[in-house]
Amino acid sequence: MGAFLIKDIMLLLRDRSELLILLAMPFLLIAILGFSLRGIFSGDLEALEMDIALVSEENEAQAVASIQNEIEEMGLPPEQAQALTQAAEAASPQTMLVSLFEDESLSELITIERMDRQQAQQSLDEETVDAVITLPEGFTQKSLKNMLFGSKEGSELELLAADLSSPQTDVLDSILNEFVRTVNFEASISRLSGQDSAVEVSGGIETITAREPITSFQYYTIGMAVMFVLFVGSTIAGQANLEQKQMVFDRIRLSNRSPLLYLSSKAIAASAIVTVQLALLFILSALLFQTFAADSWAFWSGIAIISITLAFSVGCLAALMVAITLRLESDAVPAIFSGGVISLMAFVGGSFMPLDGMPEMLRAIGNWTPNGAALSAYFSWLLEPDLGQLTEPLMRIGIVAVVFLLLALALFPRKGGAA
Amino acid sequence: MLETDKLTKQFKDVIAVDDVSLVLMRGESVGLLGPNGAGKSTAIAMISTLMKPSSGDVRLNGKSVLKKPDDMRRVLGVVPQKIALYEELSAYENLKFFGRLYGLSGNKLEQRIEYVLELVGLADRKKELVKNYSGGMQRRVNLAAAMMHEPEVLIMDEPTVGIDPQSRNHLLETIRKLNRDEGMTVLYTSHYMEEVEKLCDRVYIMDHGKVIAEGTKEELKAILSDQETVLIEFDQNYPELFIKLSEIEGVQHSTIEEQSLKLIIPRGTRMLAALFHEAERYGAQVINVNVQTPTLEDVFLRLTGRKLRD
Ligand SMILES: Nc1ncnc2c1ncn2[C@@H]1O[C@H](COP(=O)(O)OP(=O)(O)OP(=O)(O)O)[C@@H](O)[C@H]1O
Ligand SMILES: [Mg+2]
Repeated sequence: MGAFLIKDIMLLLRDRSELLILLAMPFLLIAILGFSLRGIFSGDLEALEMDIALVSEENEAQAVASIQNEIEEMGLPPEQAQALTQAAEAASPQTMLVSLFEDESLSELITIERMDRQQAQQSLDEETVDAVITLPEGFTQKSLKNMLFGSKEGSELELLAADLSSPQTDVLDSILNEFVRTVNFEASISRLSGQDSAVEVSGGIETITAREPITSFQYYTIGMAVMFVLFVGSTIAGQANLEQKQMVFDRIRLSNRSPLLYLSSKAIAASAIVTVQLALLFILSALLFQTFAADSWAFWSGIAIISITLAFSVGCLAALMVAITLRLESDAVPAIFSGGVISLMAFVGGSFMPLDGMPEMLRAIGNWTPNGAALSAYFSWLLEPDLGQLTEPLMRIGIVAVVFLLLALALFPRKGGAA
Repeated sequence: MLETDKLTKQFKDVIAVDDVSLVLMRGESVGLLGPNGAGKSTAIAMISTLMKPSSGDVRLNGKSVLKKPDDMRRVLGVVPQKIALYEELSAYENLKFFGRLYGLSGNKLEQRIEYVLELVGLADRKKELVKNYSGGMQRRVNLAAAMMHEPEVLIMDEPTVGIDPQSRNHLLETIRKLNRDEGMTVLYTSHYMEEVEKLCDRVYIMDHGKVIAEGTKEELKAILSDQETVLIEFDQNYPELFIKLSEIEGVQHSTIEEQSLKLIIPRGTRMLAALFHEAERYGAQVINVNVQTPTLEDVFLRLTGRKLRD
């Protein structure tokens, strides 16, 4: 066994191009995807930083005063009239918007400055601000009427961004949408239930920032890692094919060694390579991109448990591929696997993007791929280092691995394949 | 010690080996001769237990090896037609791996590696990767790898294909030494007559999957003992004359080459007069007439009507 293993590892180390694919390529992709898609994962706070100009085309105080006048003229009982007057003051949407951006969770990301329209346009052109929010004439009045009297006439505000397609703009857009929705509808509800509308607003926005506390680097380090370990399968099967073609496999058969030793060595070599591969990717990513807090033993031991399980399953997968390759006496299996199947598995496993919006079927399949199951194990560990949560995905990886192994043993040509 | 009994291998549409019975005595050097596609490699694959015959048997010391190939594999050193080595490993690393497969380790392993490298004359270049060797050097390592476990029988499938004359001589010398000095039994496959003539005591000639002749070199040449080979050289090619000469009474076989004509005729046939007479009629100049003793090449030609190499 030792002889086989040393040989298999040596062959791999000599194969520069395979090594490049297995180690350098995922790392490159982590860097590219991690940087370019930073904003998509809103956990990357610094990437979302932006300066905003706030342009108000109305006189807020006047608008509030005019509403208060209206209240007085309605001839309500004095207590109710006074409550509404005060509410109008407190719920002034402009003040709410500003305080929303000055809120703790957003103030680190967004700086907001009041400007007039001309100044704002100029700043936007000079790119000293990233976006301009304009509150048009009548915004306060319409909003207040909506909130206080439940009028049907909605209020609108206007967002002008330097880069419409940037992730920051997306985030800002969704914050503002939430806000407008709040002042137009939810606030009316809260009026009825007597709740403080300001709490509702910040609550709505909280969900935006807290939705995905996984950074793009974490996402792609894990996504690329679980994808590229699969390539080890085709590398190993490719080696087996070469051994068969160059007839060294015949020499091995002539030595009277059990072919099962040969197969086990391939599986173990694959597992060993995957372990090294995962260790390198995680450690390098942690060191170079600060992807993970590098100092927690508990955290890293969880990562190690998942990685070893994944390595085991890729070992079994490699054994299966070797068995089929030797049986068919062709390199079709490794070629098809690396040429398409891996990408497919990586996709349904969620290596490229989160599968939140995908059909249930696809996600179910993805969950049963070793890479997909490992990916969800890593993420769950990242969000909440709870061993109990790992049991299910790790079980799935294990079951699939055993199936691979049994198939490999069934298909492996024990006598060496020659008809 | 080793024999095949009516060995047959049928692939889908070809019978690659047809009813072949060979015998290898201990210490013998036997040649297996045949043109491309004769079925030599297929026969060897079955003898070395790498391929199951369609029918027939392979026996080592009287015992069939088909069910239990272990004994055969232990005594056999196989040098395949292809270079069966890891190209990305050095000669030393290859030999170490194959040696360990046979259970060698430590000092014994190192000594054996030294010995076989010395044998094929590559001791000083053992650290280089196999892929960087010349074809001839690769062939030598191919032989060395088969020698790691001190086999009693060496089976070689065209071990000299595509190599330079120097490597070829070295290889042939090595094999001769192993056979003569160390008593190793050798089955040597080739389509080079000269090699087989030089190396082997006994020869099997195969064609289209069948053994068409067998015996010692002398016995085989005796097939031609009642015949002579006459090689006539002209100053240039005379197609019509050549055909005319081929049709002279008594000529059993003729081969036309550029400026020469090779005729196989019954020993003692008087045909020189007729030859010069015809040549004169066509205005052709005879440069040389040579009466040769037959070679194995001629034997093959006689048996099959074809030349060994195209
Ligand atoms: N695996 C196979 N499947 C089908 N046909 C085969 C196979 N192996 C060999 N053959 C056929 O069997 C015949 C004998 O081939 P073989 O390789 O034994 O010849 P050979 O004497 O070794 O020739 P060469 O001098 O070219 O090596 C050929 O016609 C070849 O095409
Ligand atoms: Mg051959």
